[in-house]
Amino acid sequence: MQDVKEILIDYVKNNQEKLYRIAFSYSKNEESALDIVQEAITRALKNIDKLKEEKYVKTWFYKILINECLQYIKKNKRIITCELQEIEDKIEWNDDINIDDIELYKHIQNLNVKLRTVIILRFFEDMKIDEIARITKTNVNTVKSRLYKALKELNKLIKV
Amino acid sequence: MKNIERAKKVYNAIKVPEQISYVINKSLLKEKNKKKHIPKYIKYVVSTATCMFCAFIVMINVNPSFATNISEIPIIGNIAKVFTIKEYTEEDEEKLINAKIPALENTGNTELEKRINYEIMLKINEVLDEAEKRAAKYKEAVIETGGREEDYQPINIQVDYKVGYSNEKIVSFIILKSETLASAYTEMYYYNIDIENGKKLNLRDIFGNEYKEIVNEAIYKEIEKRSKNQNNIYFTEENGGFKGIENEYQNFYINQDGKVVIVFEKYEIAPGYMGIQEFIIDRQIL
Repeated sequence: MQDVKEILIDYVKNNQEKLYRIAFSYSKNEESALDIVQEAITRALKNIDKLKEEKYVKTWFYKILINECLQYIKKNKRIITCELQEIEDKIEWNDDINIDDIELYKHIQNLNVKLRTVIILRFFEDMKIDEIARITKTNVNTVKSRLYKALKELNKLIKV
Repeated sequence: MKNIERAKKVYNAIKVPEQISYVINKSLLKEKNKKKHIPKYIKYVVSTATCMFCAFIVMINVNPSFATNISEIPIIGNIAKVFTIKEYTEEDEEKLINAKIPALENTGNTELEKRINYEIMLKINEVLDEAEKRAAKYKEAVIETGGREEDYQPINIQVDYKVGYSNEKIVSFIILKSETLASAYTEMYYYNIDIENGKKLNLRDIFGNEYKEIVNEAIYKEIEKRSKNQNNIYFTEENGGFKGIENEYQNFYINQDGKVVIVFEKYEIAPGYMGIQEFIIDRQIL
């Protein structure tokens, strides 16, 4: 049997871009996002003993990663807001993307951290409610109510 | 709710920096390589300043931008790799230096490694020396012209490197030095090394005696193509624009597809806003 550490390493290697995008959603800054990913990996490897079952590799790692992101925000204290121009500079344009999409994305990025996290995990990372609950160390009801609240806020700003 | 999918498109389009695989590999390697010691060529490192410290040896993966390739890259093997050998930082009132100094290792040609690594060290030392002098002079000038010492902003000097191509036979990498004062300016030094024969490659080695024709034709064609977009302006030949490469030592590197990329610095053949100009010579050489 492959041990959990190998599985984690494989997981990280195969999901580099995903991990970066999550970190970037919090730091809004390339270098810090790289630092966050790096820190999360180091931490995960150090605590690998605590990961018991391989089926939890993903949620377990996400939990660590999100935690690093929150630490980062805490440490840097400032509220990082996102402007349209910045997003435009940071994405690879394709024909499928229009300015309204970016506007919506901007509003999501400017939600408060808790709401933003559930939106990112639910819609961008396609995670299940109970997985999100585990990652954010809350329960299913909290996740649901945050999702509801986030969508309501977005609805106010833009027709979602 | 369905519309959130639209934002997902944006999310998935966020550019991921090339270094991601390098950073991830490095963190994974740190765990694996805990017991590995520092290679011996560290003694070739010539220090010009006092506060040097050795950070760590990290591996840059063979093909830095490819997340998908990463699992195929052997972590330990006989393949030539460019390593960051040390990180060097220095900070005082005049300047802030941050240098990542690369070195060649594992090429199987130690003589060549010594030579190249020594050359890189000399180059970086020279570059840093100059930058330090410039910073000192600049500060002096600020004060002489009535500026207050506390108004002086330290010059920010960065040295870094990029690997263009690397396999058992050839490595191509670029050392970048940028200095930020009022505006940023980056200087680049290109290294294309034939490991088997232990020499630096020039354009003649790659394309043969016809190298000028091959390169010039490709560049003229591409300039013409790019000029069709009215935002792209190149200097005319009379005004110092491109009029053929001078010799085989023209700056170039080899990209991940194994193709030669000819590089012209900012202002060299086009106005500054056009930035660095790169031309891929579309011939498989490797």
